[in-house]
Amino acid sequence: MNLVELHNITYSYPRTAQPALRDLSLAIPQGQFCTVVGVNGAGKSTLCYLLAGFVPHFYHGELTGTAQVAGHDVAQTPLAEMAADVGLVFANPFNQITGARFSVREEVAFGLENMGIPRAEMLARTEEMLALTGLSDLAERSPYALSGGQQQRLAIASVLVMRPRLLVLDEPTSQLDPAGTQEIFALLAKLVRRGETAVVLVSHELEWIGQHADRVVVLDDGRILADGPPRAILASEMLPIPGTRYTQAARRARAEGLAPAQGELPVTLREAVAFFRQA
Amino acid sequence: MSSFTLYQPRDSGLHRLHPLTKLTLTLCGVATAVVLPGFWPNYLLFALFLLPLAAWGQIVCPLLRAVWPIWWPFVLSLFLVQGLFWPGGTPIVTLGPLSFKQEGVLFATAMAGRILVLIGSFLLLSLATRPDALMNALTARGLSHKLAYIILAAIQIVPRFQAKAETITAAQQSRGLETQGNLLRRARALLPLLGPLILSSLMDVEERAIALEARGFGRRTLRTSLILLSEQPWEKGVRALLLLATAVLILARTVLALR
Amino acid sequence: MQLSLQDIHFAYAPDAVALRGITLRIAPGEQVAIIGANGAGKTTLIKQMNGLLKPQQGQVLVGDWDTRRYTVAQMARRVGLVFQNPDDQLFKQTVADEVAFGPRNLGFDAAHTARAVTAALEAVGLPDVANAHPYDLPSSQRKLVALATILAMETPVVIMDEPTIGQDGRGVQRLGEIVASLSENGRTVIAISHDIDFCADHFTRIVVMAQGKIIADGTAEIVFSQAEILAQASVTAPQIARLGAALGLPGVPLHVESFIAALRAKKGET
Repeated sequence: MNLVELHNITYSYPRTAQPALRDLSLAIPQGQFCTVVGVNGAGKSTLCYLLAGFVPHFYHGELTGTAQVAGHDVAQTPLAEMAADVGLVFANPFNQITGARFSVREEVAFGLENMGIPRAEMLARTEEMLALTGLSDLAERSPYALSGGQQQRLAIASVLVMRPRLLVLDEPTSQLDPAGTQEIFALLAKLVRRGETAVVLVSHELEWIGQHADRVVVLDDGRILADGPPRAILASEMLPIPGTRYTQAARRARAEGLAPAQGELPVTLREAVAFFRQA
Repeated sequence: MSSFTLYQPRDSGLHRLHPLTKLTLTLCGVATAVVLPGFWPNYLLFALFLLPLAAWGQIVCPLLRAVWPIWWPFVLSLFLVQGLFWPGGTPIVTLGPLSFKQEGVLFATAMAGRILVLIGSFLLLSLATRPDALMNALTARGLSHKLAYIILAAIQIVPRFQAKAETITAAQQSRGLETQGNLLRRARALLPLLGPLILSSLMDVEERAIALEARGFGRRTLRTSLILLSEQPWEKGVRALLLLATAVLILARTVLALR
Repeated sequence: MQLSLQDIHFAYAPDAVALRGITLRIAPGEQVAIIGANGAGKTTLIKQMNGLLKPQQGQVLVGDWDTRRYTVAQMARRVGLVFQNPDDQLFKQTVADEVAFGPRNLGFDAAHTARAVTAALEAVGLPDVANAHPYDLPSSQRKLVALATILAMETPVVIMDEPTIGQDGRGVQRLGEIVASLSENGRTVIAISHDIDFCADHFTRIVVMAQGKIIADGTAEIVFSQAEILAQASVTAPQIARLGAALGLPGVPLHVESFIAALRAKKGET
């Protein structure tokens, strides 16, 4: 049984004419690191909300098709129950802080308090998560006293501590500076290596995706346009977003006869260096 | 400053008291202040009860610093209004057409003492009790966790609201909006300043709601807490005693008043 | 309009010094990108340029106006500043009304305002949503509306704080076109951006800041070839520049075109 099974999902937000997702089917196995790319308005965030149950339970609207996530029928499962199995992190680090906890440690423990986890276990899991996300030294600080990158790591820690089987991240670095972006991607790389949770990541950072992801799903106008391993998808002509500059340069070089006509186009710097060296 | 709490962390006996014990102290202090008659009792209450407690909690200076700016405006207005406008009465100082009346000054002194204890009791609680610990103790006694959340979030939201208001003012000034000057101009600037504040706060609320749900806030299961509330065995007795003493005091005052 | 900052010092508090002696002269029509880590003083610097902050030492001149002698609202005739978060400013019922707010504040007459609004919405590619409520638009479009509200004020200097955040490839492309067309019309464009490729593609002059100082200022080619300085400011060079350096290509290619040219030049040699 796959962790995520979406069949023929069509969804429209209330009071909108156009569906945000159209006849979308997608299966994600346990432990996979799956990324989603596409232009603004392609349905990437809506897909994230569906996986976590906010579509349809928070946004309402009209949902058809079947969605099974972590053993739950999404349409039938209350949000509170989904939360234990699916973690959601989104772009704005500020708005993910509960605002009702005065230290980083308590912020991380918030979800466990709601789940009624005994205090001893809560402490152990919280400390473990603080260490994993590199926040141990900041545990006593106010969540508001952190930088954007640290706050976003806090958001990830706060969700991961609940031990979700699926972690969904909707453009977690889009509002961060390069240093904050680095922090988040380093953490994600670590999580992926641990392989305990499946990850669905929406991001524009194609070079990073090319290095770390198992799979890239391309959304366009609410449909899946392409789906496959990163190199094949990100270097493809049909990608509706600009590829990395490495891919663009290699494609141009090939068109002008400056590179061999055969072989895969590069996505990352390392691949590009190898590509042009052999050329 | 990233939050709006008065809490002063110390390693003291007062701080280690169960939040409910401190809340009881405060409420009893307030009730006593309201019913105690006359001129001196409230000052004595402050000096012999609140100040020693503050000393126990190593927060005498923070307490006085916090009390003063709230108290003195009351004192000033009480003495001016009651002293000058006491009907009839015995003048003690006369300045032209105005004179300070003895009765008014006495009444103002008594009222000021009452207010001193009221403010002092609440500030003592706020200075020595973590707001989240207090809310925790109250939710354990049946307060809705949603209400507790709202109270705690409100404490932290004030400084963020201020920062947001400053940014919005800067953004609108950069669009040619004059926010200084005469009253009409300021009134006209109100909508462009308040509009974004309200609209963007509403949008934040939506995201915040999603973030809370994603952390299981909507669950109906029994909640646990990271904050450990410890209670010395005698605290229950102290609370009962305080409540009893206050009840007796109120009763005695009522009986006296009825006679 | 010439922008001139002479030895600017500024501190928010004695222990929070943001600018330590900034001298910068920007000629009319220049395209200047300011890069650097968070906390380097970039936002403080652009707030000096429209008088939101006044220098504690030194002098900021916009044309012949000293920012210390004008209110921010008056400075808005000469300098338009687009904030990072559009939700800090949108409040009208329609997009067109929102865009007209600035021009009206500056005293444009009705016909002039209408012209300015139409041109600004054209420029950001949103003429179709003129009658929509700003908050009904997705955030990437709200951000373009916020940009239009400043463009419509027809200021000789336009400053943008992180314009590319939240935009996809198409949006970034659109922003590049706006920068180019402003510059063609002799208007100065200044942007703060973490998007190094955007800076390399659309700005001719790069200013690098670190710890309240300008540590590099020059053409994109020169600045992006100085690896140590970039590291000092914790910024990385554009992808193509890194690839060019790794391959030992001549010059500092910044875009695909110059990279191909450099590749060709190297092939020609061998």
